[in-house]
Amino acid sequence: MNFLNLSLGELMGLVGTISAAVVALYLLDRSKRRQLVATLRFWAPAEVRTELKHRRRIQQPWSLVLQLLSLALLLLAMAGPRWSGEDRSSRDHVLILDTSAWMGARSRQGTLMDDARAAARAYLKSLPSRDRVMLVRADALATPATAFESNRQVLEEAIRRSQPGASALNLEQALEFAQRAQKLQSLRAGEIVFAGAGRVPEEDATLAAPPGNLRVLAVGAQQENVGLRKIGLRRSPASPDTWEIFVAARNYGVRRHDVDLALQFGGAPAGSRRLSLKPGTEEQITFTYRTRAAGWLEARLNARDAFPQDDRALIELPAQKPLRIVVYSAEPQLLRPLIAANPHVNAVFEAPAKYDPRVKADIVLLDRFAPDVRPHADSIWIEPPSAGSPIPVRAVRSGVKLEQWRPETTLGAGLHTKDVQLESAEVFTASAGDIPVAESAEGPLVIARPGSPKIAAIGFHPARSSMKYELATPLLIANILRWMAPETFHRWEVQAGTVGTVNLALENGTDPSSVRVLDENQRPLPFTIAGNTLRFFSGAPGTVRVLMGDRELVYSLTLPDVADAIWQPPPNARRGVPRTSGQNIRPRDLWPWLALLGGLGLLVDWLLYGRSRVFRLRAGQLAARAPWRKAVWSKAS
Amino acid sequence: MPEALIDKTLLEKLERLTVHWQKSLPGLVGGHNTSRFAGSGQEFLDHRHFHQGDDLRAVNWRAYLRLEKLFLKMFQLEPRIPVRVLVDVSRSMETGALPKFDYARKLAAALCYVGLVRLDSICLQPFANKLFDSFLASGGRHRFQPAVNFLSGITVGGKTDFLEIAREFVTAYPQRGLAIIISDFLDDSECEKPIQYLADFGHELILVQVWADEDREPPWEGELDLEDAETGMRAELSFDSGARSVYVAAFDTYSQNLRRVALRNNGRYVGLSTSVPVEEAIFGPLVRSGAVQ
Repeated sequence: MNFLNLSLGELMGLVGTISAAVVALYLLDRSKRRQLVATLRFWAPAEVRTELKHRRRIQQPWSLVLQLLSLALLLLAMAGPRWSGEDRSSRDHVLILDTSAWMGARSRQGTLMDDARAAARAYLKSLPSRDRVMLVRADALATPATAFESNRQVLEEAIRRSQPGASALNLEQALEFAQRAQKLQSLRAGEIVFAGAGRVPEEDATLAAPPGNLRVLAVGAQQENVGLRKIGLRRSPASPDTWEIFVAARNYGVRRHDVDLALQFGGAPAGSRRLSLKPGTEEQITFTYRTRAAGWLEARLNARDAFPQDDRALIELPAQKPLRIVVYSAEPQLLRPLIAANPHVNAVFEAPAKYDPRVKADIVLLDRFAPDVRPHADSIWIEPPSAGSPIPVRAVRSGVKLEQWRPETTLGAGLHTKDVQLESAEVFTASAGDIPVAESAEGPLVIARPGSPKIAAIGFHPARSSMKYELATPLLIANILRWMAPETFHRWEVQAGTVGTVNLALENGTDPSSVRVLDENQRPLPFTIAGNTLRFFSGAPGTVRVLMGDRELVYSLTLPDVADAIWQPPPNARRGVPRTSGQNIRPRDLWPWLALLGGLGLLVDWLLYGRSRVFRLRAGQLAARAPWRKAVWSKAS
Repeated sequence: MPEALIDKTLLEKLERLTVHWQKSLPGLVGGHNTSRFAGSGQEFLDHRHFHQGDDLRAVNWRAYLRLEKLFLKMFQLEPRIPVRVLVDVSRSMETGALPKFDYARKLAAALCYVGLVRLDSICLQPFANKLFDSFLASGGRHRFQPAVNFLSGITVGGKTDFLEIAREFVTAYPQRGLAIIISDFLDDSECEKPIQYLADFGHELILVQVWADEDREPPWEGELDLEDAETGMRAELSFDSGARSVYVAAFDTYSQNLRRVALRNNGRYVGLSTSVPVEEAIFGPLVRSGAVQ
């Protein structure tokens, strides 16, 4: 029995308060209203007067008792009591419904989710109607779907709306949540019921401290499944045209499985391999695929298992765009090793006479040559003539010693030389905003000017001077190209994985402030960096980009997270749907009878006491003893 | 200023009214109501035989030439008789949501103004268990302000005793005249006899009974502890709608008795509720009763 969620003591308190109010109103109703009148000659005769000293006394106690009794009966009727021989106290249960990705696996009749829903409904029906149940959906997170609810329709609807998610089950967290909910919100804790397959990560297969009131409604016995765990792609460091593809597949079942793994790019076959997976093992396969085009890469396992969702993964590959450089040089053979050695670069060598300021190129290199019209693209100037140099040449010196590089700049990063004496070199005059890269005692020998277009000027010939034997020379050219076209040198890595927590190893020296984690809508995701590990969580399938300087990782988190192990319930946990004892005894509602009795009591009170008071005056006493018929008006005493 | 009791608009409307009496009462010439008394009026009344000492100017000489007998022509007299307005100031006049006392003062002021406009002499006489100091207003409308001041100055107090009032009135005012009594007539003693006593003494009566709505139809129900405003006596009783109808019937019967007493003595009776505005009361029930015309 409940009354607006009040306990019996609170109900009795409420009845007492209302009774006190009724008594007060009773006394107030019976008390006399004082009124000043012009004369008493027309008022009631002495026979209907009451004594003043009795005004605060209960004059009709049976009427009051009848009223209080009737009100108590009506309040009890509102409480909705029922009669049955069972234990009357209600309990609060927490029903944890497994909504992990694995619940989408096939079963004999539909999916495991259907079986779990059926088990949950059966459990609800086994409970007394007075018991309250909180439904919690559990995958990587425990999400309450209802509060403690006694309305079975609400619970049924919440169960019906529960669908498999994309993450693995975090059972320990769900059980902790259930215990906490029972501790904080329930009046009398009932059971914690888990309905689901219970596929959890290996480390959670045995819980440290399972709750004592646990009941397990297990669905789906051991299911055979082979699925993709992860796909990783990156461009080959040796050949930017080539993608290195890593595929990881796992056998979750208990039998050996031979499956075919096929790759397709843009609908065309890109590779295939036959895998022989032992029970509970994972295998990694490497493919290489050469393409510069963008497109969709599909990995598919031809396995007929219980869980087809993890048999296919799809990743979008970005296009590889080469860096186009036009070199105007009278001695192209000197520069060819420096420029063409970079696999990201597509270099074209032209004579200075063929110079075109509007040439289609990402970068233009001018070797000891200064055109009348500067190129519209970014440009590298080697020993530009003083007359046409984009950066003013202060002096041309012989026997110049290269004093220092500026490694703190992007252009000078990693450059070191020792005792380099240049036979001839131009010394530039740096303006505000210019970036000196290499300097002599007289001034900068290599300088870069940001802006649009970008300009870099080298005051010596890297292949003619003594610098041609220095390792810093190709690095200098590479740094300049990377500075001018950083997107070309981005290192792309694409991975298809499972939703949930992603751990990523950072390279040494990665600046944490340069790290950004964005979802597919370019909104930042929260992440943590502990040591060299970056960690973020994605609860929903989607694409996440991690930007770290010139490195970009794309996570296509579309594979369902299937945990490795099956949770083993503790031996003391109850199993199955409980016996529906007491359910056949249909409790009988008492409220109609109580309401009838209460109403009847009020009616009797009105008939016996309410109307009689009216009749007393109507009895003609006023008319019979009209005061104006008396010769002299006698006052009441 | 008279605006304290009656506003200027009502005063302008009151100027076309006249205090009217029905009896032929003796009085000085100059009134505006006809009487059966002969005197130096303008309207011919009758002939009578000439007696020694009669004014020879009134002899009908034409009749003497034909009949050789002296007949005297009598003319209708229009006497100016005293008008006395008795205002009840007992404590019972103070009860009710709309106090009867204020209402009575306004009525008295209005009647006083009507009389002053016609050059009547109006005596304002407060009373309760005795006659209090009176005020005589005469001499035209410009003497209205002192009358208003007088009415504004009187206060409520005392217990109504009509028998004593009647006794003092006939002693204080031996000249017969028009007596307008404005009261609730809620005297514990019978007030019919004292009123009859005044009528028997030759006064013409206009009884204006004023009541509050609570006096005629009490709105309360349940257990009541009633206190008489005049005597302080108390009565405790139960009251409901049935008793209320009996009460109203009793009140109405009492008013009918007052009306009967007034009409039986060629007087007039007007019953007024304080919920009726003074202007409506004057131009409605008072005019219809003939007290003012």
